[in-house]
Amino acid sequence: MAKREIAGTAALILSSLAEGAKHGWALTKDIEEFAAVRLAPGTLYEALNRLEGLGLIEALPSADRRRPYQLTAAGASALRDHLTRERQVADVGLSRLSAKWGTA
Amino acid sequence: MSVDEKRVRRLIRWYPRAWRQRYGDEFAELLLADIAERPRSWSRAFDVARSGAAARLGLGGVVHSLPSHERAGARLAALVCAGSVFMLFGAAIWAQLAIGWQWSRPSAPATSAAIVLMSCLLGLCLALALVAALPVVWAVAARSAAGRGRDLVVPFALFLAGGVVAVIGARHFAAGWPGTGGHPWSHQHLLPGRLAAFAWAGTLSITSYWAHPGALLRFPADELLWMAASPVALVAAVAGGARTIRRLGLSRRVLRFELALARIASGAMIVFLAATCSWIVSGGTGPRNLFDVGAIDVAAVAAMAAALVVAWRAGSDASDALGQ
Repeated sequence: MAKREIAGTAALILSSLAEGAKHGWALTKDIEEFAAVRLAPGTLYEALNRLEGLGLIEALPSADRRRPYQLTAAGASALRDHLTRERQVADVGLSRLSAKWGTA
Repeated sequence: MSVDEKRVRRLIRWYPRAWRQRYGDEFAELLLADIAERPRSWSRAFDVARSGAAARLGLGGVVHSLPSHERAGARLAALVCAGSVFMLFGAAIWAQLAIGWQWSRPSAPATSAAIVLMSCLLGLCLALALVAALPVVWAVAARSAAGRGRDLVVPFALFLAGGVVAVIGARHFAAGWPGTGGHPWSHQHLLPGRLAAFAWAGTLSITSYWAHPGALLRFPADELLWMAASPVALVAAVAGGARTIRRLGLSRRVLRFELALARIASGAMIVFLAATCSWIVSGGTGPRNLFDVGAIDVAAVAAMAAALVVAWRAGSDASDALGQ
């Protein structure tokens, strides 16, 4: 499968699922906690649908009405690539800030 | 059933049936938890409405997890909806410009060139739509003859009813067409006069008069009724047609043929939009300011651009699904 670029909402969801399988509400609360972003229900399920279609996450069987989702190997790889690129940008930005503006 | 559960059921109705079957239960649980924490939220209601409408247009929904030819069919249906919206606004603008042309040529050469180009492209799109409809109508007839057309009855009836009302109404009200100027073709029932009159009457509802209720109330009652009823008929025809395409399960061969036509139509729409923008920029005076650009024209061009983006995305996704 070709490498998939991810960003924004998708990165938040994949980062949350990197910890383990979660259903919609658990995802919402976890993302709110670690990223201070509250994903609206429609937006969350649009992204879940797209990520599932891309094979980056998969739905698990569920005994109740809340269906959990988990990261696939392709999803883990896409998330790692994305976060590595983000870290490179963050490292460069922070080092330039320190050099010119000093440490906070 | 609790009040919250009733609210959740109402919210989930924004989504199409296939989406509700796949995600309905888990989405309802999420909404119930969200409502328990934030009982009133306009942003949540807006988000669900926006997302549900996008799913109905085939821009989200469950199409990603459908088999490839079903996904292509769903995207083709979305493309038909977006293309119809584009052509509806395009026809409304063209019909207005054609009225001015009937009285005299516009002073700006760019406007004259834009009108001629728009006329040719509108004709091309109409011809493409007719050619594209043939395999669909054939597939409907074949399914019905084989006794497997029960699920097509409602959408196809909706398409026919909306289409018949739109055509009969437009033909009736075309008699009031204002384009009866000095052009030698007027009163002779020749193109483009008759076609322009038909397009003008069919798109009477796209007008800035809605912002001027005083002027609107002086319209004849039957014309006002038509301005309110014609959008309903057009929406019914387009929605019925799109639903029919989705339920038909067209073969890969037919889908490839339809996509090839859609690519030509998309190219024509891009040029049509460029011609419209050329008129917006060049303007040019005409009799009774018939070539002047108003806010409604700019809004129509914005709607056409948005429809073109949706059509383009749907076409690209359909191509991906068919492995093209």
